[in-house]
Amino acid sequence: MYDIVIIGSGPAGLSAAVYASRAQFSAVVAEKDYMGAGQIAASEQVDNYLGLPEINGYELGEKFREHAVSLGTKFFEGEVSGIIKNAESYTVSFKDGSTMESRCIIYAAGTSYRRLEIPGGELLGVSYCATCDGAFYKGKTAAVVGGGDTALGDALYLSKIAEKVYLIHRRDTFRANKALQELVKKTSNIEVILNAVPTKVIGEKRVEGLEISVSGETSSLAVNGIFVAIGSVPNTGILDGICSLDKNGYIIADEDGITSADGLFAAGDVRTKALRQVVTAVSDGANCVLSAENYIRNNNW
Amino acid sequence: MAVRVNAENFNDEVLGAQGIVLADFYSDSCVPCKRMSPVLAELEETYPDTLKLVKININFDGELAEKYEVQAAPTLIFFKDGEEKARLRGAVKKAEIFEEFEKL
Repeated sequence: MYDIVIIGSGPAGLSAAVYASRAQFSAVVAEKDYMGAGQIAASEQVDNYLGLPEINGYELGEKFREHAVSLGTKFFEGEVSGIIKNAESYTVSFKDGSTMESRCIIYAAGTSYRRLEIPGGELLGVSYCATCDGAFYKGKTAAVVGGGDTALGDALYLSKIAEKVYLIHRRDTFRANKALQELVKKTSNIEVILNAVPTKVIGEKRVEGLEISVSGETSSLAVNGIFVAIGSVPNTGILDGICSLDKNGYIIADEDGITSADGLFAAGDVRTKALRQVVTAVSDGANCVLSAENYIRNNNW
Repeated sequence: MAVRVNAENFNDEVLGAQGIVLADFYSDSCVPCKRMSPVLAELEETYPDTLKLVKININFDGELAEKYEVQAAPTLIFFKDGEEKARLRGAVKKAEIFEEFEKL
């Protein structure tokens, strides 16, 4: 029986691991990916984490992980398939059939990309990672769908590789920060199309074009690849019936991470909060360990 | 150690090779590719006599990627005696890679 099973190895989970190790709890981090560090690893550059300006997201993630490892954190590679609440503990089961018993759970499973759910959305050439797949579009045409920081960042990244980049957004203004918007404006091979909703990916096996509806009128663009950056959805499917979620699926919890389920705490992007950033995720991880400590003490375990 | 191959020596190193060759199509900037690297190294170390690992950098060898219809990094293609036998697209778990290899 563990004191704490931490689910997720992004900044929130790793921060919880650091605090749990230092408080000498018996704890384990369960992660679905081998040697994970969360979504931050995919960011080209992180400029707002205090003390480490201009750090690459991958390096930042590695630093977090090294820190947890140096304090003796135990990791388990496995994807959680279910959580059962018992009288005085939780049973966490994994897709490989194994299970763990724990007094508490710190749930820090993060979010996943929101998928482009239109016909053809599964074709070869529809990507969710510009830094992974951008190189396939050297001298070609790509479309980016979305209007936030990720979408504009992707468009800028691709503009250096592709001959032309369409940036397609469903609203008339971008949500991305002003600095990125200025850069996009100045980049001659990015063509912005606003008030546009993608309706169909054209192609047999791989992407050949994208059909869009602009203010109700349908047209099609000839593109070789489509990069999707339309936000994220919380990985909370397995918590249905375990704790309260808001209408978008985020776990309802305050800064202390306390949820409607005794002994289950929420940290990082999965929690209802105003700002989803590394700095708030890291702080959630620390707070959840304190809440777990109080919970264990109050039960005299 | 994995060998970097390109369009020029692909025929010799992969198609002309006997046994199993795992071709890793990767990109420098790709985080899932970086994460996959130690897993592939482990596979190579576990089967030193039966597996040959080669890497194709898609930033430089786009034509090979095009020829094999690779449009996501990482993509792992298993060749046996020069013939494609299996393909794994995107980041996959360690167990899946080992399993795929052990089936061949």
